[in-house]
Amino acid sequence: MNPSLSDIQLDALRELANIASGTAATALSQMLAREVEISVPRALALSPVDAVDACGDPERHVAGVVVPLRGDIEGLVLLMIPFEQAESLCSLLGVQAHTEVGDSALREIGNILATSYLNGLGAMTGLALEPSPPHLHNDMLGAIVSTLLVGTAGADDLALVLDSELDVSGEPCSISFLLLPTSGQISDLLAPLGLAEPTD
Amino acid sequence: MAAVRMGEMVVSTNADDELVALGLGSCIGLAIVDRSAGIAGLAHIVLPESGDRSDQLGKFANTAVPELIARVRGAGGVTRRFETCVAGGARMFEMTGGLDIGARNEAAVRAALDQAGVRVRAAETGGNQGRTVKVAVGQGLVTVRVAGQSAVTLLAGRGRRGDDLASGRGPTIARSTTASSATGALREPRAAMRIGAWL
Repeated sequence: MNPSLSDIQLDALRELANIASGTAATALSQMLAREVEISVPRALALSPVDAVDACGDPERHVAGVVVPLRGDIEGLVLLMIPFEQAESLCSLLGVQAHTEVGDSALREIGNILATSYLNGLGAMTGLALEPSPPHLHNDMLGAIVSTLLVGTAGADDLALVLDSELDVSGEPCSISFLLLPTSGQISDLLAPLGLAEPTD
Repeated sequence: MAAVRMGEMVVSTNADDELVALGLGSCIGLAIVDRSAGIAGLAHIVLPESGDRSDQLGKFANTAVPELIARVRGAGGVTRRFETCVAGGARMFEMTGGLDIGARNEAAVRAALDQAGVRVRAAETGGNQGRTVKVAVGQGLVTVRVAGQSAVTLLAGRGRRGDDLASGRGPTIARSTTASSATGALREPRAAMRIGAWL
């Protein structure tokens, strides 16, 4: 069983998420030529069941882009865009949503955002983080998050969720951003910061 | 509405209860209904095998199935009257490689049901879409819904409380037309009698 994470460790992870999502927001802003607002990120160490609830309404229909992560840390980055907002995001890029081209555009956004997020994370921690090709899946939020968490956390009782939200100004378009490290990899994320051991 | 979250199970004898497992991906929603006893149970199973763990019975197929059966029996259910539905077990992402947890979950649930001598009455499993399963205890009605679509009836409800169907999503009513129109027919004379008595 996993030990729980201390407040200092969670603070450090939140700060990592903050910087990484800042990098991603810059990339999104350049891509869309729009202002992008970032919410204060959350770092949550929860049981997988509570982690699913913390991500939002399980029945919400979302477009989810999953970018599996390899290198010094395994896990995945998940971007979720409310299904109906995928249209405004696609129209900002001049493509039709829910078509082959639209889906491809969403995957590409996922790819660029995840890569810049990982670059931000890598710059902070010195870890080599390598994104794999993105997958797009339109489904219920709960089904996406629970299935991915079962894959990353397995039978463990602790799941780490780092999430932030990017809002495109003037458009009904928000992207939530989650990093789900595979269990056992959380301490690897904390080690470069000198916080691998629980401190309280 | 009682939400049955990952690794949880709920058994109810309250006719007004609705048991719901929201957004099942690779997880399995296992519903057991004993309608003559007015009992229904729903388990939200996450993984196929518990290994050597003995906590969280509801999380693993090999422990959750016997536990749910025992709880429905404990509430007064009888195995030969069980109407059992299995939903979920999707393979949503290709990248999980050889580890198709959804299919393994389904196989483990079916094996455990087999072992307990419980037959599966209806199933909606596999594929690559997530599902929400709802069990209306009073009616013994089990429905499944996929994102962006309307609910499909897996186990038709007894129409006794047919009016409650109207509170659900439209197409549910359409799917269970036979049940509700049959009650409608039964109900009218009764209403007429009541009016007669009142007059």
